[in-house]
Amino acid sequence: MSTTVVTPETPRERSVTGAIGSAAVRVDGAAKVRGEAAYAGDLRFVGMLHAAIVRSSVTHGRIVSIDVGAALAEPGVVTVLTGEDLLDFDPYFGHAVRDQPILAIDRVRFAGEPVAAVCALTKAIAEAAAELIEVEIDELPYVGTVEAAIAPDAPLVHDGPPRPGSYLGLTGLGDGTSNVVFHQEIAWGDVEAACSAADIVVEGTYRFPAVYQYAMETHSVVADWTANGLTVWAAAQHPFLLRAQLAQLFDLQLADVRVVVPFIGGGFGSKSYTHTEPLAAMLSRKAGRPVRLVIDVSGSMLTSRRHDMVCRMRTAATGDGTLLARDATFHMNTGAYADNGPRVTFTAIEAACSPYRWRALRCDGSTVYTNTSPAGSYRGFGAAHVQWIGELQVDEVARRVGVDRVALRLRNLEPRGGPVRPDARPLDADLLGDVERVAKAIGWDEPLGAGEGIGVALGLMPGGARPVSSAEVRCDADGGVTVRVGTTEMGQGARTVMAQIAAEQLGVAADRIRVDQPDTATTPYDSTTGASRSTTVAGKAVELAAADVAARLLAIAAEWWSVPAVEVVLADGWAGHGSRRATFAELVQRGFGFSGGELIGRGDVRSTPDGLLPVFWEVCLAAAIVAVDRDTGEVRVRRIATVADVGRAINPQLVEIQDEGATLQGIGVALHEELEWADGMLVNDSLLDYHVPTTENLPDEMICVLVENGDGPGPAGAKGVGEGAHAGAIAAIACAIADAGVPLDELPATPERVWRWLAPAPVEAI
Amino acid sequence: MTVEFTLNGEAAAADVPANALLLDVIRDVFELTGTKPSCGVQVCGACTVLLDGDPVSSCCMLAHDVTGREVVTIEGLAGDPRMQEVADAFLRHAAIQCGYCTPGMVLTLWALVRDESIADEEAARRELAGNICRCTGYKAIVDAAVAVAVSRR
Amino acid sequence: MALPTFELHRPTTIEEATQLADEYGDDAVFHCGGTELLLVMKLGLAPYGHLIDVKPISELRGVIADDDLWIGATTTHRQIEQHAEIRDRWAGLAEMTSTIGNLRVRNVGTLGGNLCFAESHSDPATALLAGGATVESRRGGETVRSIDMDDFVTGPFETALRPGELLVGVRVPRLPDGAILLHRKIRFHERAAATVAISIRVNDNRIEHVRLAVGAVGNRAGLVADAGSLLTGQPVDALAANAIDDLSHAAVATGRPVADAFGPADYKAHLLRVLVRRTIAEATALGMS
Repeated sequence: MSTTVVTPETPRERSVTGAIGSAAVRVDGAAKVRGEAAYAGDLRFVGMLHAAIVRSSVTHGRIVSIDVGAALAEPGVVTVLTGEDLLDFDPYFGHAVRDQPILAIDRVRFAGEPVAAVCALTKAIAEAAAELIEVEIDELPYVGTVEAAIAPDAPLVHDGPPRPGSYLGLTGLGDGTSNVVFHQEIAWGDVEAACSAADIVVEGTYRFPAVYQYAMETHSVVADWTANGLTVWAAAQHPFLLRAQLAQLFDLQLADVRVVVPFIGGGFGSKSYTHTEPLAAMLSRKAGRPVRLVIDVSGSMLTSRRHDMVCRMRTAATGDGTLLARDATFHMNTGAYADNGPRVTFTAIEAACSPYRWRALRCDGSTVYTNTSPAGSYRGFGAAHVQWIGELQVDEVARRVGVDRVALRLRNLEPRGGPVRPDARPLDADLLGDVERVAKAIGWDEPLGAGEGIGVALGLMPGGARPVSSAEVRCDADGGVTVRVGTTEMGQGARTVMAQIAAEQLGVAADRIRVDQPDTATTPYDSTTGASRSTTVAGKAVELAAADVAARLLAIAAEWWSVPAVEVVLADGWAGHGSRRATFAELVQRGFGFSGGELIGRGDVRSTPDGLLPVFWEVCLAAAIVAVDRDTGEVRVRRIATVADVGRAINPQLVEIQDEGATLQGIGVALHEELEWADGMLVNDSLLDYHVPTTENLPDEMICVLVENGDGPGPAGAKGVGEGAHAGAIAAIACAIADAGVPLDELPATPERVWRWLAPAPVEAI
Repeated sequence: MTVEFTLNGEAAAADVPANALLLDVIRDVFELTGTKPSCGVQVCGACTVLLDGDPVSSCCMLAHDVTGREVVTIEGLAGDPRMQEVADAFLRHAAIQCGYCTPGMVLTLWALVRDESIADEEAARRELAGNICRCTGYKAIVDAAVAVAVSRR
Repeated sequence: MALPTFELHRPTTIEEATQLADEYGDDAVFHCGGTELLLVMKLGLAPYGHLIDVKPISELRGVIADDDLWIGATTTHRQIEQHAEIRDRWAGLAEMTSTIGNLRVRNVGTLGGNLCFAESHSDPATALLAGGATVESRRGGETVRSIDMDDFVTGPFETALRPGELLVGVRVPRLPDGAILLHRKIRFHERAAATVAISIRVNDNRIEHVRLAVGAVGNRAGLVADAGSLLTGQPVDALAANAIDDLSHAAVATGRPVADAFGPADYKAHLLRVLVRRTIAEATALGMS
């Protein structure tokens, strides 16, 4: 049912040990398949309490009173927390903007915002007591959409100018006079002149849905506040950013906040930054006992989601199909709190530039507050939002000038080394070759079946985020190797890949290397687990740290045997020189002159070698064939091919499965998923009416085109994947639907929408 | 109210109220956390357990409804040969990512393989449609399911 | 998501069950598999104080495939789906059952529970209508009465059962010789957006018998009264286009589409028309072979 195409022109070089480039079995697989893997909600501590949240039923309003008396009187209830408990410190947090209170204070800004929380001996008691809390709220006018929020005289979601959060160097924050919290633009050339001189201008307004990331594990945390400091066990993608946020909130030293990451049941961006952890910490502080806070699915949907967006875009071209100008203006709905909205918006601006040779370009993006649940990160953010729109317009240009859509792209694309946008890394991938590869994989020139459409869509997104990661690799006295790295394992396979990277340096089998989840008390700093950066940046730190340990082992052997260190080799778990051999254990003991001791290697990544950002451009490229049922409007993906332009696949099997997962989530966004509000309330807040793809939505055929040009900045020339395929899949499906004759301008392309887009006349009354 | 049943082959009893859900009893009373809470509306399959050998959603089942019956959780299949085949196939095909859906998937497949319900890939896609995985894209899981079924023929 | 508190009762006879229902009145509800009831209770939509578990009542159990088919109310969907004689002689019923919910729901959910819950997207209700089934019910102290399937579901979450009366079983008549029962649905998500079930016999290229039921689009499943007059006697290989059109319109008139999570009424009406056309085509083709 599927093939992995390894591009023939770039045969994979064998790594020295075989550790890199092999389908090593996941180091965490056995624990997961046996049900032994413990996630945050599985943890249990002596004296642990359980929390439940009381949420606002009002979309926007002033809190008049909160009566907690009945709840407190319930047997088993230990404490109740409200905004009144938060008045003796600055209780606001937020990555881009410090705008979100731990619990609503005086005012609620979206339906479902936490206004109180209960701690009790059991979850059942806490939930029952939460029902007894009476909250009186005076309703205020609200803004439920970006259109409403940017209208003149719209009610403001926040008063006053936004306070910068922990996002270093963020510019473009709003001034507080409107609901626009962030605005940026990238522009060059004269767009208006280019458009008026063009033979063809494609123009339209497009809508992208709010969706829920839908990690299977909901937002879960245990917090324990003691005289010795604060410890949280959190399903957190960025434990070090979370630690910094908690330390800032509660005025603690970084060292007094410990974030431990258990197994994480999927993240996809939803567990980025800070969400429910401050509330759990406050509850534990007040109760004086460990507190577990596990939010259910409907509550998690209110905790983080993806930005919905309205985008006006035009694309100008000459009559022979030369692309001239792009002009995009879009508004992202970040909900009531900004979270990572400005970065999402700026990434969309960058992605809207796309790697075509534009003579003139203007990409203008705004992040807008509304009275809806907060939006943050989700896989491929920004690129997922805009790539499909730009590529629909490029397709329309090709259609109007009568040029094949692949040929038109090849003609207008920048080659490797070409500029992507000013002041950024030039194109660092063979995009032209990638387009040809994906066209071949999908069968671009093959005839289509009835009702089918085919599309190819490409784009770039900035990968790697900040190039700041550190790692330690330790070789114990028994020769065992442990990697300490702050990248979190969310399912993507980071622990396995880190083991493979260290194994390659040390000449030991990957399954002998231990890699645990981060614990900020003992794990070296890492900035984030996102932007497809783990293998490339954290992996580089691991590679350096492992090389450091390897050098120490070699030095001990060299001294022992009185030979030059460069002549000693590490292979199969041994150090050797000529006929001499020593185990790692023997070397460590020799080095320390004792039965114990350990060698610790350190690796630090602090910047890219050339100082340019992004660390790498992640290729967002896919092609799809869809079948449209013109009677019902249902769209099925028949075949889809994604390109994993990965530089070097440390573990090809994990690369492939990342692309497949990204694709299925892309199918969700393109065809099924959309959070819906009515009267300011989220209405489809469970799997009963929010459909995430199942095996029934699996394409007939999925192809992952693995491209290994060794051109990444990571270990062995690797670079990140896993997000690009998501944006690419969405766009390729959208282009294929349009190719089938459906004039779509909104996602998801639900059956009903497709049917209406196809309806030639007003539909028959019933 | 006491509910008595068999849990992973051993007699079990718990004093829980009438409205106690089987999922909560398994996790909180018996401290078996391989059974995962997720959607809460019997759609996703993360909380799957075997009731008299058949997969059910423990999130929407009264604990008292298993009175006198046999419940098996993922922990209860340790050492079972068919479980080992399924687990090996999952590992070999990389059908595991975050692992949160995995126990439910494994239990479901264990029963489907026993019932010879996986004749081919199409059947695997149909029968596994009630188990949601958000990481893998399903292909690896379907491949693992077909591999187990084929190897048993 | 926790369940509200309630008392659980475990009668072993219909008499006891009725007595409990009478005692607690509107605060009580019969409970069987729980796949529907517990869900709405978790969502806070049904705060009953007393659940009367009918699973221990032996009178509601079993499947008897004789000349006709009797299915006890507490029979699970999975038992129906896997029952050898049902698969053989009422294949359409077994096939329909295999498409309900998911494997776990079918292992727990029961036919009686499904019908009594009377959720408007129910698959069995539509299929049983086409199959000409009757529902057998009984209040403690009384004898069994039969209710025509078309009279059983009276609206969304409403049935013809009187307080304290239990659905005992469902009787499905033998299919006419050569007839087939087919149940089809258009389903994009968890539940169907439109369902059509048809019982049809084709003889020598002529449609001799037809019963058509539609469901999921409106508040309850219904029998399309005109289906017989529109189709009986028609040649299968040259079905008049206007007959299909008329039938589709009759189906929509019966189904009375309402807006729900699967779309507004006009779209659902359209889906029903499409499904009627497709199901007739499939059923007549099958009936010919």
